[in-house]
Amino acid sequence: MHKKSRMTRKENLIAFLFILPPIVGFCIFTIGAMAFSFVYSFQDYNLFDGTSQWLGLKNYVDLFTHILYSKSFLNAIVNTLVMMLSIPLSMVLGLFLAGLLRMGNIKGSKVFQVLYYLPAVSSAVALNIVWRYIFNNEFGIINLALGVRIPWLSDDVLIKVAIIIKNALNGMGTAMILYLAGMFNVPRDYYEAADLDGASKFKQFFTITLPLITPMTFYLLITGLIGGFQSYADSQVFGAGVQGSQTIVYFIWERGIGQSRYGLASAASILLSAVIMIITLVQFKLSNKWVYEE
Amino acid sequence: MENTVVEKKQVSAARKAGRIALRTLIYIVLSAGAFVMVFTYLWMLLTSFKDDYEAIGLTLKLFPSKWIFDNYAKIWTVVPLLRGVLNTLIVEASVIIVGTFVSTLAAFSFAKLKLPFKNFWLLFLMSGMMVPYAALMMPQFRAFFALGMFDTLWPLILPGFFGNVSMLFFLVQYMKGISNSFFEAAKIDGAGYMRQFISVMLPMVKTAIAAQVIFWFIGIWNDYFAPAIYLKSYENMTLQPMMARINSDNSSGTNLPLIMAGAVLSSIPMLTIYIACQKYFIESLAISGVKG
Repeated sequence: MHKKSRMTRKENLIAFLFILPPIVGFCIFTIGAMAFSFVYSFQDYNLFDGTSQWLGLKNYVDLFTHILYSKSFLNAIVNTLVMMLSIPLSMVLGLFLAGLLRMGNIKGSKVFQVLYYLPAVSSAVALNIVWRYIFNNEFGIINLALGVRIPWLSDDVLIKVAIIIKNALNGMGTAMILYLAGMFNVPRDYYEAADLDGASKFKQFFTITLPLITPMTFYLLITGLIGGFQSYADSQVFGAGVQGSQTIVYFIWERGIGQSRYGLASAASILLSAVIMIITLVQFKLSNKWVYEE
Repeated sequence: MENTVVEKKQVSAARKAGRIALRTLIYIVLSAGAFVMVFTYLWMLLTSFKDDYEAIGLTLKLFPSKWIFDNYAKIWTVVPLLRGVLNTLIVEASVIIVGTFVSTLAAFSFAKLKLPFKNFWLLFLMSGMMVPYAALMMPQFRAFFALGMFDTLWPLILPGFFGNVSMLFFLVQYMKGISNSFFEAAKIDGAGYMRQFISVMLPMVKTAIAAQVIFWFIGIWNDYFAPAIYLKSYENMTLQPMMARINSDNSSGTNLPLIMAGAVLSSIPMLTIYIACQKYFIESLAISGVKG
């Protein structure tokens, strides 16, 4: 008995040593860094003498009211939210494509999946460089092909339209593959039963397929939101930093890293974290309740 | 009697024709979409062979009027692209070798060993997935700066040494599916825990690890945000910030074919891996959605 408990204790110790590196890394690079961000957000960092002064909530208030920052912060929030319109768009496109693949019982289905998923594994930098060229105001292929001169890259609204189009197209493959996997999970006899009842294919899609693939819809929405809130390359590479393309993370980067306004940028980053945490927790809570599961 | 047979034949022939037409239409729509997907790469490639002025010309030309291959030679001298590849590979190799070992060992412990508060530790690590990098970037930046690691590869390498949480979770799930009897047998033979991990567990999960390593490799290859923050001089840059810098330095657009040549070259390794391992990518995506 005594020997056994010693052996268990030894196993506990070794087991803990094995998981220690990720835990140490997490404590340093995530918890530690997060705690510092939190502290910074209440301070004002002086770049010249390296001292910090306690400000209370001033940074948070400044984000929304300060004459120098509030405009660009609110602009960044609006931009980020507007650019997220690409999420529902890519989902609808992906659902449509998955429906085509399923309905047509397509032979080269795998080939299509590989091609449509290509943008998702591609480098955001390389893609954005090409898309920026495609949307170029003067010599972009879109304007040349349409014979127009739409100022995609310089207009504050149009650049968001361009980003939405680009991201919807680049994201639809992911949605397609997930929806297709979902559709294959729907038992055949559901449709056979509906056929016997005389339900049209159209009706079957809305009453059987769509409800049964809600887990995918939910997953795509959540991962899309979490990614969308952290979008950065779209502002930096595609938008080249123009105001109409600046996102929340771009704002944090520009103020924090670019201008060493650590306090202000940290306050923004803490707010961003809070939003992302809420979305994740909502997912955690709801994923079992709202979403169809067998 | 005969009439109805003929009618039936006609109906089924019409239906068959309709089905063929529908399938053709579906193929056309799907192919059009697929063309859009590959068009970015096609356009990158075609532009890289164009003359500088043709690329920014105001008449639409899909193919270069004269194929120019110089850009693929020039890009290596205009920017230290080779250095960029090398720097990227240094990060890849050090992070993946150490990080994979660390993640796999921890996964083994979570899946197979007796550990008090196991679920707590797992949730603890998982909670990090909901923290955006933007909230960690400034303290990390200041710390690495203070340590004299600004404009070096260390800020990209050091965090990777502590493992990769998504790899860890995937492997925990995977390893749980392996029967305990293998480890009990090894224990009876006198194997310690490290021995059980290396000679029993690792050989059984090596394909799962390989798939995860591939995803991680692509992730690091395409990583842009952190490298863009830390790396300032061309000599120390990894590929992605280098490409972004060449692009932003070229506001006039006159070097577009050169940039496209760089984009093509920097995409080749990633594309090769993706095409070779496409099955893993598609399957793991489909699974991630099913499991939620």
